[in-house]
Parts: sequence; C-alpha cells; structure tokens
Amino acid sequence: MALIVIAEDEFLIADVLAMMLEDAGYEVASAPHGLGALQLAKEKRPSLVITDFMMPLMTGLELAQAMRADMSLKDIPIILMSGAQGDIGRANPGMFDAVLDKPYQEERLIKAIAALLPQ
Amino acid sequence: MTHSLPRLTTGIPGLDPILGGGLVEGASYIVQGQPGAGKTILSNQVAFANVSTGRKVLYVTLLAETHERLFQALGTLSFFDRTKLGSGITYVSVFQILRDQGLSAVVSLIRKEISRQGASLLVFDGLLNARDRADTDLDAKTFVAEIQSQAAFVGCTVLFLASTRAADDSPEHTMVDGVIELHDELSGVRSVRRLQVKKSRGAPALGGFHQFEIGSDGVSVFPRLEAALGRPSTENKPSSSPVPSGVQGLDAVIGGGLTTSSVTLVFGPSGCGKTSLGLSFLNCSTAQEPGLHFGFYETPARLLLKARDIGLELDPLLASGALEMIWTPMTENLLDKLGHNLIDAVKARGVKRLVIDGLGGFERAAVHPPRLVEFFASLSNELRALDVTTIATWELRDLFGPTVSAPGSEVSSLLDNLVMLRQVEVNSRYKKTLSVLKMRDSAFEPVIHEVSIGNNGLRVEVPLQPVTGAATGVAKPLESTASDSVKA
Repeated sequence: MALIVIAEDEFLIADVLAMMLEDAGYEVASAPHGLGALQLAKEKRPSLVITDFMMPLMTGLELAQAMRADMSLKDIPIILMSGAQGDIGRANPGMFDAVLDKPYQEERLIKAIAALLPQ
Repeated sequence: MTHSLPRLTTGIPGLDPILGGGLVEGASYIVQGQPGAGKTILSNQVAFANVSTGRKVLYVTLLAETHERLFQALGTLSFFDRTKLGSGITYVSVFQILRDQGLSAVVSLIRKEISRQGASLLVFDGLLNARDRADTDLDAKTFVAEIQSQAAFVGCTVLFLASTRAADDSPEHTMVDGVIELHDELSGVRSVRRLQVKKSRGAPALGGFHQFEIGSDGVSVFPRLEAALGRPSTENKPSSSPVPSGVQGLDAVIGGGLTTSSVTLVFGPSGCGKTSLGLSFLNCSTAQEPGLHFGFYETPARLLLKARDIGLELDPLLASGALEMIWTPMTENLLDKLGHNLIDAVKARGVKRLVIDGLGGFERAAVHPPRLVEFFASLSNELRALDVTTIATWELRDLFGPTVSAPGSEVSSLLDNLVMLRQVEVNSRYKKTLSVLKMRDSAFEPVIHEVSIGNNGLRVEVPLQPVTGAATGVAKPLESTASDSVKA
C-alpha cells in the first residue's frame, strides 16, 4: 500500500484528508507543520507528499525546497494544496508536481495522486 | 515630564482615539465578545492595516473555522488583501500541537514563529480553548504571561481573541495590558453594536460604550461624542460681527443678524416655515462661507424644489460647491455616527452656515435619551469652536394648543438663540408668526411679527396685530382678556 505524508496545520482538514485517502486505499501519516512532515518523509520514505502552504515552523514551499535539496527525498512527488498561495507554488517550477486550489475536491485530488504514483 | 508610549495604529476608524492613540507597541490585549460580536473582523482589520504599512502579522488559530472559510468571509470586506497571504500575514493553526503536546509546546512554537516571520503583531484566536487545555487558572495565566512576554521581548503587539462566557472573571484579564469588549445588544426591537475598553494600562482610554457598525469596509467605531469632544477640538474665537440671517426683515429684529458661531433653535409645529427659514439662511452661502444642510426629512431633490417654490435658486450654489446637502433618512441611525458625520462634513468644507433640520433626527437615534443633553452640549460647543453659525430646527407636536414646550429645557439652555414660528388664528385667518424668545449677547425686539413665504424666501413683515394668546396659536382679541383671566 502506498504511503502518503500530509503536512497540514489545520486539524479538521488534516483529519478529513486522511480519511479520504485511507478510503481510497492509501496509508497516511500526518504532521501539523512542514518540519514535522520533513521528519516523517525522512523516516518513512513515502510515495508522495501532500502539503499545505501556510504552516508554522516550515511552509509548504520551504518543505519542498528542503526535500528537493535532499538526495534521498528529491524524487518524491509533492502536491501543494492551497487556497491563496497556489500562485506562489506555480511560480516555483520544479518544486511541486501538482498545485491544487483549496477547498479540496476529492475527485481531482485522487486523480492527481494516481497520475503521480507508479501504477 | 510624562512621555507617551509608541503606538501601533488599529486602522479602524474611530478606535485609535478611544484607545488614547492606538495600541501600545509590544503590549497585549484581550478582544472579547459573544460569537458574532465582530472580534474576527476587528482583529483581521487591524492585521491588514498593519500589513499595508509593511509590517508582518502572525495570525494563530486554535479550533476554529478553516482558514479557507475565513478567507472567503473576509473576501467580502474591502481591507482584505489575498495577495498578502503567506507573505505579509501568515495564518497558522496550532490546535494539533496543543492537543498532542500541550500549552508549553504552543508557547515555544509561537516564540519561534514570531521571530521567523519578524511579526510586529500577533493575533491569537482561541484563548478559551487554550484555557480549557490548562489544568489550573495558574496554568492559563502562565500561558498568557509567557506569550505576552515572548512577544513584548521583540516588540510584538498581541491580540488575544476570546468568546465571552456568562459570569466571566477570567484570570487572564489581570495579565494583559488592555481589554476591549464587543457587544451586540438589543435595544427595543433594534440591535446596537457597542465597544468598551475595559482596561487600558499606560494610556487613558475613552471610557464607556462606543457605538460601532460593521459594513463592507469592516468595523467603524463612533467614539461617544461627549467623551471624544469633552472639550472642543479647537479654541473658539468669538467675533462680534453679526452674520446676516438671509431672512428679509429678521436682522432688524435681532440687532443686525445672528451672532457669529452661535446656535439658534427655530421651533414650531409642522408647516410654519422652519425649513423655509433654513433655506433662506443657506441662500447666503458663498465659497468663502460655505453652507451645509444636514437634514432628516426632505431629500436634496425635494429641498431644491421647495426652495424654487419660494423663489430661492440653490442649484448654482450646490453646483459651485458653496452648498452641500446631506440627507440621512430617519430610520435606524446611530447617534454618534450622525454627530461625527456632521462634524466631519463641516470640517471637510470649512462650513460656516449650517442648518440642522432637525434635532429630532438625533433624538430618535438616541438609544439612551438621557445623554442627549451632554451630546448636544459637545456638538454645539464643537460647532462654535469651528466658527460655524448654526440654525437647528425642532418640530413641536401640537399644531395649536396652550402648552408651548421647548425641547428639553436643558437642551434649550445650551443653545444661544430661540426663535419660535407659529401659525396663529386671528379672526378666522391663519397668520404665520415669528417670535424671538432669546438672543444671547444681543438685544432683540420682543414683538411677535407676521411672516410671509414667497418670492425670496421667508420674510418678516409687520408686528402682529395686538391680540393675546398668539404664542399658543389660538389668539383672542384684547378686550376679552380681563374676563378670561378671572375664569382661569
């Protein structure tokens, strides 16, 4: 089962997102900020990371930059989910494999994940 | 020598003066109120006002609506700027950290975030949730104390948002520098929003309740006029030269004209010429002495028609900017908003001739009528200080009748001059009359005069034929006086 790491400070969103992904057949580990997600990524080597932008301690962009700079993590696909900072994500090519705008749309997200994971 | 503390503007119209000049930099405040009272809008407005001047803001939430939903709601308000999200202002939720690691982890995270963001303002939304996580009151106080001391250390101002509970004697109140409470209360069938600064350390705040409203520009506060203008904003320099009243024949009766920067109350029942007198007065407006009609009854279009009907052409004055007409429908108004709007309009154009038609519009807006005396005192003092000559109208309820009551005796005594307009029945004919009852610092003819309305506005004609009871509107020929007074 593919493991997905979620970086999301808003607990309600993190919870709903985790349930949605588990229902779709993925294993999920979440962190309340980018720094926690980076730790998780190092420990668990997930197949994919879904991150919010505005979070304490480390933003989604900073998380992506840290992962891209780390030889062991640089190839993990990252999806940025953001309401307001989607444009910042799009303006940083090479950082995110997909940028989706909040609020979450289940179908689009599941499609985007499927497209990024090896079949 | 006293010194004043550096301030952070709230960016909320009217709030800085209430706080004695704004928020004290590096100080912490509790903003509290029932859900729906306006805490979130107020704090976001303060946040974006400071973001717009280049400051950084950290907005921390606990268990609340999602940030995206918050942004959707804020998106309807003019101060909200989506492009600043994530750069000028950062919204983070610390609920998971609070739940999993406790209050001290939250304090540590906030400390790191303040310095990471270089924040000069921290908004912490969810003080009650933090208190729920605390085991004792001391823990809750310690949490507040730690956050505020961390923030103060780097000069960051803090707003703690808290929903009020019944019988709230929050231990945190003793810790913070200020407490701002928001109320949304029913008064009769209407609701009124009011703000109160309950605590203000190191700065004299304007006490008591101040009305506010929430519109598409966010929160606007209207400092209670008598508190904000306890003393007029400038010094009045009375001048001795009288101001022409614009009413033909009146200046001769009142010693040459109205005293400069005086307030004249013109009262009488409906239809006796109060509005016409006001329009005649404003007909003398010039670019040097601009006029303002601040009314509650007729719209500007109707006033212009009325003026034309009595031979006054006000359109050119309006077009040239010598005259302005502000109409406020007499619906659900806020007393202090009316007062501030009036003073702002006077200051904006340097108005010298003002007609308030009429004071009843203020009276109806008063949620707490006993304060009208202080309200009118501060308003009239300010108008005098701004060198405005004012005519205010007051409608008497009874068209005819033995009682002639001036609007609240205390209010009348605040005003300089009293002029009564009445219709008087004499020998089955109605005659419009004008009586001068009081002229402060000026001699006047104590004679009831007939007035006419026509050609060139209101005109004071000849003295009314000798009768008694004219002031009540029901006159009697002189010869019957003796027997009547015996009966009485």
